[in-house]
Amino acid sequence: MSADAMESRLQASTVARRALAGLNPVLESLLAGVLGLLVGALLMKIWGYDPWKAYHALFVGAYGDSYGLASSLARGTPLILTALTFSICVRAGMFNIGAEGQVYLGAMAAVTVGYFSLPPGLHLIVGLLFAIIAGAIWSLGPAILKITRGVHEVISTIMFNWISHFLCYYLVANVLVDPIRGEKTISVPRSARFPILMRGTDLSYSLFAAVAFALVIYFILWHTVTGYEVRAAGLSPTAARYGGISSKRTMLLGFILGGMGAGLAGACIVMGLPPTYAEFSGLPQISNLGFDGMAVAMVGRTHPIGILVAAVFFGGLTAGGRTMQITAGVPLEMVRVVEGVIVTAMAIPELVRLFRFVWRRSSSLFAFRRAR
Amino acid sequence: MRKWGVWILVAAMLLAVPAFAGPALKGKVAVVLDVGGRGDLSFNDMGFKGTDQAAKDFGLQMTEVQSATAADYLPNIRNLARTKQYDLIICVGFLLGDALAQAAQEFPDQKFAIIDSVVDAPNVMSIVFRENEMSALVGALGGMLAAYHGYPYVGVVLGIEIPVLYHFEAGYRFGIAWGLEKYKAHEGLEALPNVGLLYVYTGTFDDIAKGKAATEAQLAQGAVAVYNVAGPLGIGDLEAITEWHNARGTKHGPPYYFGVDANQDYLGKGVHALASGMKRVDVGCYDAVKAVVEGTFQGGVVSLGLAEGGVSISGLQDLIDFIEFGIAGGALKRSEVYETVANWATNRAAIPYWIWEAVDELEKGILNGTIQVPTANTRDEMLAIRAQYPLTR
Amino acid sequence: MNPTAQTTEPGGEPKYFIRAEGITKVYSDGTVAVKDVDLEIHPREILGLLGENGAGKTTLTKILSGLLPPTKGRVVSPRGPVRFGSPREALEFGIGMVHQHFALVGTFTAAENVALSHRRPFGRLRLSEAKGRLEELMDASGLHVPLDVPVERLAVGEQQRVEILKVLSRDVDLLILDEPTSVLTPLEVDELFALLRRLKEGGKSIILITHKLKEVLAITDRIAVLRRGELVGDVEAAQTSPEKLARLMVGEALIAGKEAIELRTEELPRHEARREPRREGPGVLHVEGLTVRGDAKKIAVKDLSFDVYAGEIFGIAGVEGNGQTELVEALTGLRVPVKGTATIRGVEILGKDPREIYRLGVAHIPEDRWKRGLILQFTLAENAILGVQRWKEFRGPLSFLRWRKIREHVRALMKRFGIQATGPGAPAKSLSGGNQQKLIVGRELSKDPAIIIAAQPTRGLDISAAQYIRALLLEMRDAGRAILLVSADLDEVLALSDRMAIMYEGRFMTVGSPAGLDRQAIGMYMGGVVSASKEGA
Ligand SMILES: Nc1ncnc2c1ncn2[C@@H]1O[C@H](COP(=O)(O)OP(=O)(O)OP(=O)(O)O)[C@@H](O)[C@H]1O
Ligand SMILES: [Mg+2]
Repeated sequence: MSADAMESRLQASTVARRALAGLNPVLESLLAGVLGLLVGALLMKIWGYDPWKAYHALFVGAYGDSYGLASSLARGTPLILTALTFSICVRAGMFNIGAEGQVYLGAMAAVTVGYFSLPPGLHLIVGLLFAIIAGAIWSLGPAILKITRGVHEVISTIMFNWISHFLCYYLVANVLVDPIRGEKTISVPRSARFPILMRGTDLSYSLFAAVAFALVIYFILWHTVTGYEVRAAGLSPTAARYGGISSKRTMLLGFILGGMGAGLAGACIVMGLPPTYAEFSGLPQISNLGFDGMAVAMVGRTHPIGILVAAVFFGGLTAGGRTMQITAGVPLEMVRVVEGVIVTAMAIPELVRLFRFVWRRSSSLFAFRRAR
Repeated sequence: MRKWGVWILVAAMLLAVPAFAGPALKGKVAVVLDVGGRGDLSFNDMGFKGTDQAAKDFGLQMTEVQSATAADYLPNIRNLARTKQYDLIICVGFLLGDALAQAAQEFPDQKFAIIDSVVDAPNVMSIVFRENEMSALVGALGGMLAAYHGYPYVGVVLGIEIPVLYHFEAGYRFGIAWGLEKYKAHEGLEALPNVGLLYVYTGTFDDIAKGKAATEAQLAQGAVAVYNVAGPLGIGDLEAITEWHNARGTKHGPPYYFGVDANQDYLGKGVHALASGMKRVDVGCYDAVKAVVEGTFQGGVVSLGLAEGGVSISGLQDLIDFIEFGIAGGALKRSEVYETVANWATNRAAIPYWIWEAVDELEKGILNGTIQVPTANTRDEMLAIRAQYPLTR
Repeated sequence: MNPTAQTTEPGGEPKYFIRAEGITKVYSDGTVAVKDVDLEIHPREILGLLGENGAGKTTLTKILSGLLPPTKGRVVSPRGPVRFGSPREALEFGIGMVHQHFALVGTFTAAENVALSHRRPFGRLRLSEAKGRLEELMDASGLHVPLDVPVERLAVGEQQRVEILKVLSRDVDLLILDEPTSVLTPLEVDELFALLRRLKEGGKSIILITHKLKEVLAITDRIAVLRRGELVGDVEAAQTSPEKLARLMVGEALIAGKEAIELRTEELPRHEARREPRREGPGVLHVEGLTVRGDAKKIAVKDLSFDVYAGEIFGIAGVEGNGQTELVEALTGLRVPVKGTATIRGVEILGKDPREIYRLGVAHIPEDRWKRGLILQFTLAENAILGVQRWKEFRGPLSFLRWRKIREHVRALMKRFGIQATGPGAPAKSLSGGNQQKLIVGRELSKDPAIIIAAQPTRGLDISAAQYIRALLLEMRDAGRAILLVSADLDEVLALSDRMAIMYEGRFMTVGSPAGLDRQAIGMYMGGVVSASKEGA
């Protein structure tokens, strides 16, 4: 065989391989998704539901028309933000699961705008600021524990989530409570609500707040020195230190940026989700947004742009899941199982990567302990 | 889908028109449940049961939609309404009120019904219950029992402080006071028996542990019975009472459990559940469907009380009906039915007959209008009633 | 060598242990690292594998040891084709590899790492057994390491030793060593080679990758040369010469003249400073009474004092693990010392963080390129600004990174230092070991620093690259920079230093001109035999 022929063949395969390398994560997710769909279909089949009909309902409900798409986007909006919370911290080398508690406080802070009045636009902005600040402040606890005492963020954020959970139960029932309707907080007044983007749907302008936040995070992480330092410290604390980067600073930053996102997510619910614009006792509207966000982050490969796509997908699952009950007669429990299977399948590739990474990172932490 | 809808329509016309001369039906009804969801053997299950029964009786198809989160309420109602296939969409629970208010406006041609909340729209039938009436009966029973057994208190564990629950508290207070008067008259006492009321709003409808803790506290202070006015928390209430008895080796007698909404007398094999203040959500749902089928559906408030069979205090027939309900829900085994009824009867038989007659007397008084049970819809009204019936010791 | 020739003597034992047949490796980014290579490995043979940085040596051996699947071609043994699903399978087959970058569990001790590699299904870690085995091996091989310290606390050279011991302990038939000698002292190299010879006598095969022609010629029987992924030579060691090898490695066309060939052989002439630097008062770097604790809480640097003046190279030689790492870390802000002072151009630096120290004009080439020098997941461009990310050149308004400028900078570096990569966007982990080193050195030297602290600057570089870097260091010295050179490569220290010290257990055994030291004495100092310590300068 001539060397030239070999060369050109290698060249051709080079091009193909390059393209594949870029597509790899996407393909991986898609494959995982298909696998999840198949397992979900199997489960439905076993329990006697028609998978074909169910998935048809799911798809039509999620993206079949502008109403479905709007519903999906509406549901995806807060998830974009909580996914960012998790992702920023992963990029900074941490496993922050504190978004949940930060969302709660963000929502509570946003509700307080109901106690005063301001001109329409300003009222909204003040509410958002409140929420962002509340989320950020709540993230400071685990951040400080981590930086000064070396407390692992998984442990501290779980604790802070519970504190927030009970604190907000209390706030809803006793402090922010609507004097004539004890089951909910006061409502955010009209002047501080996100206007509805598409009439007759849940979709409000809060979507733009979430997308803007994602873009800002993207630019910070990949186009500023600060973001560069955060990512460097996240990938290799030792090399970062060599590079004159303070990991404490970048961790703090990761926590705070994340907290802001989560706080904003809380605000997007109470200020942007019809009809009540308040939170109920038991926090039924904001519960699990933080945890769902983690799944979104994983499917979106902890990248802001990936997250935008993943959030639309997740929102679609929820929106489509609602119609699965109606048009395919699949009960909610089954809908959730199927959703869970799909989500898990899609999150697995990234999850594996993450756990490997975290394991490596924290194994050095344990060694440090052992040395003492 | 559309074709099929037309077919149903034709079928419905053929069948329904001669029978009722009512409106043309599309043949479908739906229930939307709140986040509590199915399986509570109470509120939501009854909403389902009543609608399901009506759908069967009138040859309709029924769709059930549960809500995973509160953010699903409005979309769920919208999704149903958008199909334009439903004769009636029933929202079970006051939590759906805001969502329905919005949806009713968006879909003015769609008929809706809602339980426990008032939505002011021409296409919404708001079904509310006069819980004060049956609570008064339960209260009267409790008051007389405390006096009879020499207990210092009657107890009630409530959920979140919302207007619906004021109905219960108001009626319960009135009933206790009425029962104490009755006891005084019957026994020919100089003064009213020194019996007070222990009440607590737990602030939750789902934290069972809180129900248990609150009940334990009331038992410790000497409550003769604890009335559950917080749905699922009753499981915790009953657990506390059962443990109380077990610790003392007593099988029957006080302290008792008073159930709510559904007939809960069969819970715990009827050992400690003496009576239930029944709120027949199923009846409400059934009637709403029936009204649509018969063409009598109207927007506005429908209030169901003792007279309408919407509320009542549990009796033997109710026990038998709801034992089936409990078996279907997995709370009871068929093999335990006899034992349950026997336990229940033993408990009831241990109480002097005149007390049961007194409860009947109160019921009759309410039914024929000679006795007015007060109620409260706002905090101020509630405070006024608390002042009128302080029930402190 | 004709790979298709009869390879089994009729009735005799097979002539080869394994054979690579038409191996081609194309990485996912399109890089063709190995191209259609046929190679036989014989029993009872030491095969040298030579090639410039990025020639494909590591890639090829990874394929042979089962770590990477080839894109094309296959590996066969006399028993038939072999395919390894994992390095463990390769080990079971009898092939073990010592990696250029190690595959050790950082938090485990040497003994634990070895025990781990012996794990059997359902078996427990046999720590005592592993330890006993290791002690035996340490005696046999002359490689000594602390067994009870987590390996991440060891100097790179020590880690390398652990890695070698780990593979030796497996008693393999084919032992692949990827640049094992770059971190060893001459004495250790001798002992290791003696061991390799004994293994060979015992019927084993060995593949040795190195950039040191002298070593290759001294120990190997046969030498294979790779150039840009292609096998360009497979020669008997006895019938070749450094010049011939250099020609093969670089390619005839690229060799301009005799001078270039010389540059590519290992002769390191003494490079005296043109002008004797003024050594008065405190140097650019002035260290006094510096005491530093190591990771194991042991004092690693003991009361050290010295100066490095502008216009000189101050070399520190010694066996790795004698406090060099800690010394460098203390001087670059990576480690807080116990006591002492150190100034750069009169400014105290101890206790300052790296960024502040860099601001004083310090460039630091770290010894551990994977732990400190690079972030493997980052691209070339991202790595090229590590430590200088806040420079005005790279940072625009609002702290935005000026990616275009940065990429230009990287392209310039790639050109100047001959870094082979697909482009500024290539991840650092896709670079060959030598090219990674070039990237770090290039980044640091292009800072135009006042003082360069260089730890093992040429480790892993091929001869021409190493010589280029050395020339550059000399050039910078002549331009009046101060250079602190820490290297395990004695020849390098001897050749470049104006003054040198030999470090043993945290102290300088001697300080003086390299000209005044004979090899014998150096060997003694390195082993700590002579205790006549002359401190300071
Ligand atoms: N994971 C990878 N992805 C893409 N390209 C790679 C990868 N690993 C190595 N390469 C490329 O393959 C080529 C050969 O690399 P290899 O590591 O085999 O070189 P080497 O001969 O060992 O060099 P050195 O002496 O510098 O260690 C280089 O051009 C390198 O950039
Ligand atoms: Mg290599």
